[in-house]
Amino acid sequence: MQENKKIIALPEKFSIEEVATAMNEIKGLGKDHPIEIDLKNTRFIDSSGIAFINYLKGNYPNAVFENVKPEIEKIFSVFPSHASLEKRRKEKRSGFTERIKLTHVAHSMEHGLENLDVKLSHFRGNFKNFFVLLADEIYYTCQYFFQRRGIYPGEIWHQLFFMAYKSYPIVSMISFLVGVTVALTAAEQLRNFGADIYLADLVGFGMVRELVPLMTGIILAGKIGASITAEIASMNVLEETDALKTMGVVPEKFLMVPRLLAMTLAIPLLVAIADTVGILGGVLVAKFFSEIPAATFFDEMFKVVGLGDFLIGQMKTLVFGWIVVVSSGYKGFSVERSPAGVGIATTECVVLSISLIIVSDCIFALILY
Amino acid sequence: MTEIIRVEKLDVGYDGEVVLKQLDFSVAKGDITVILGKSGCGKTTILKTLIGLLPPLGGEVAFFGEKIDYHSEKTLGELYKRIGVLYQGGALLNSLTLYENVALPIKMQHPGLPPQIEREMVYSRLAQVGLAESAAKYPAELSGGMRKRTALARAMILDPDIIFCDEPSAGLDPITAAGLDVLMRNLRDLFGITFVVVTHELRSIEKISDRALVLHNGRIHFFGAYKDLFNLNDPFIDTFFMKGENHDY
Repeated sequence: MQENKKIIALPEKFSIEEVATAMNEIKGLGKDHPIEIDLKNTRFIDSSGIAFINYLKGNYPNAVFENVKPEIEKIFSVFPSHASLEKRRKEKRSGFTERIKLTHVAHSMEHGLENLDVKLSHFRGNFKNFFVLLADEIYYTCQYFFQRRGIYPGEIWHQLFFMAYKSYPIVSMISFLVGVTVALTAAEQLRNFGADIYLADLVGFGMVRELVPLMTGIILAGKIGASITAEIASMNVLEETDALKTMGVVPEKFLMVPRLLAMTLAIPLLVAIADTVGILGGVLVAKFFSEIPAATFFDEMFKVVGLGDFLIGQMKTLVFGWIVVVSSGYKGFSVERSPAGVGIATTECVVLSISLIIVSDCIFALILY
Repeated sequence: MTEIIRVEKLDVGYDGEVVLKQLDFSVAKGDITVILGKSGCGKTTILKTLIGLLPPLGGEVAFFGEKIDYHSEKTLGELYKRIGVLYQGGALLNSLTLYENVALPIKMQHPGLPPQIEREMVYSRLAQVGLAESAAKYPAELSGGMRKRTALARAMILDPDIIFCDEPSAGLDPITAAGLDVLMRNLRDLFGITFVVVTHELRSIEKISDRALVLHNGRIHFFGAYKDLFNLNDPFIDTFFMKGENHDY
């Protein structure tokens, strides 16, 4: 067996360039293969060199180290090996419990079933927490009408300014462009059937009942939802929500109720503006593309679109707005307390809000049509 | 001497995992009790339990002789009326001015208080921390030390029985940190406010401590009068205070 022993004589300077060569020499050797590392000539060793030695010590039980100079030995004493640290950690863990990082478990391929179980359990937890927050918000909002405590004075108006005044330009622009696009797309098809006049019905009905609520909801998710999540998540990271709690303030009420009420007040205004501007886009296309005068367009449109449709559009958008506020609050409060967590929570909030808006729009369609 | 807090057989940690176990200690009225230990030893964890944010995994905490029920909003509400907390980063609300931040506990707990009284209270507290002139500024316009002093003013605005401070000197230069220590000492001497301070700043510890709670290896290593710490001839304590050889802890 002795002739099989792999002998590696390390050079005078054993640093990162030489480590690669030494690693190549042990490549392909079994873990039990006898190895002799001769440090007779070695006078300088850097951290990568020590890492190589420590790696051998931890993984090759039959590796021996010869002619180690005292000054090199001294350097080893301040570079504990990964194996020794792992051993120490396990010893500590046996006497003292250590927090297990579930994310690590979740990402481990070795824990397939466990992984699935953890994910399912997370999903159940998230689902429950979302509805708990929703119920809390309904309770706190109702409570606010009877007991005006726990909310910063003037906050509702501040939020309303942000949600309505600051949002109406983008909501108007998108609605106008959607109105134009829908009208242009439909006008060409309707012309083929000689049914140009029905463009008014299609644009009016489509915008008021479907496209304005959906587009407004999506814009609010991107603009307001992301901003609410980022703000609450940052407050969580900076312990501001903890500070509120220890001042006897309920953060879920202090931060969310003004936003929910402001959203409730902002939606009718935004929807009215978006409906008007969106239909105006359709009117312009009808006038210049299908040569339908505005008066004729409106006459035809009001035969089909009534107050009920307008109110349904309002109601749908209101629900979408509440979805945006609750989803963003949920993601903000459940943020992982790190700067990266804020970014992740913000992205997740937008995805969650838009998904829930589309799901609820589908449910509305099933109920209303 | 009146005991404000009594902790018995307390286990604290996160998600069922114990970080500190079998803790027994008390905080006496008018004392500055300092919680010491290495980074990551659980100082902030125990502070979170003492201020009601983290339910314990075992044992109990009594506040003025009443056991804290961590699942009762009412009990926690009563606790929050009697404590103030100075967080590590100050935790001021960035959308509010200093005045509004300090006035926040008043507005939330006593919304009917006349604004003139509120103004007097806020300005006197801001003056005590040397920031009356900056009342209209926002936290982003202040230095770290000023933010912490504002947070201290907010913590004491409703005359709490006890103020908890999490690493008050962290991130501050030695002069500002020393100023904060002097401020805490003065508040204790003049108004009898009790402090529980989590720190590992040696200068700060020497200046303010009446009693010390040293945490090590998940347990209490020492609890008693600060001056008694140095009669122990304990290698960990000596290393911590840089008075002995640097053992590998």
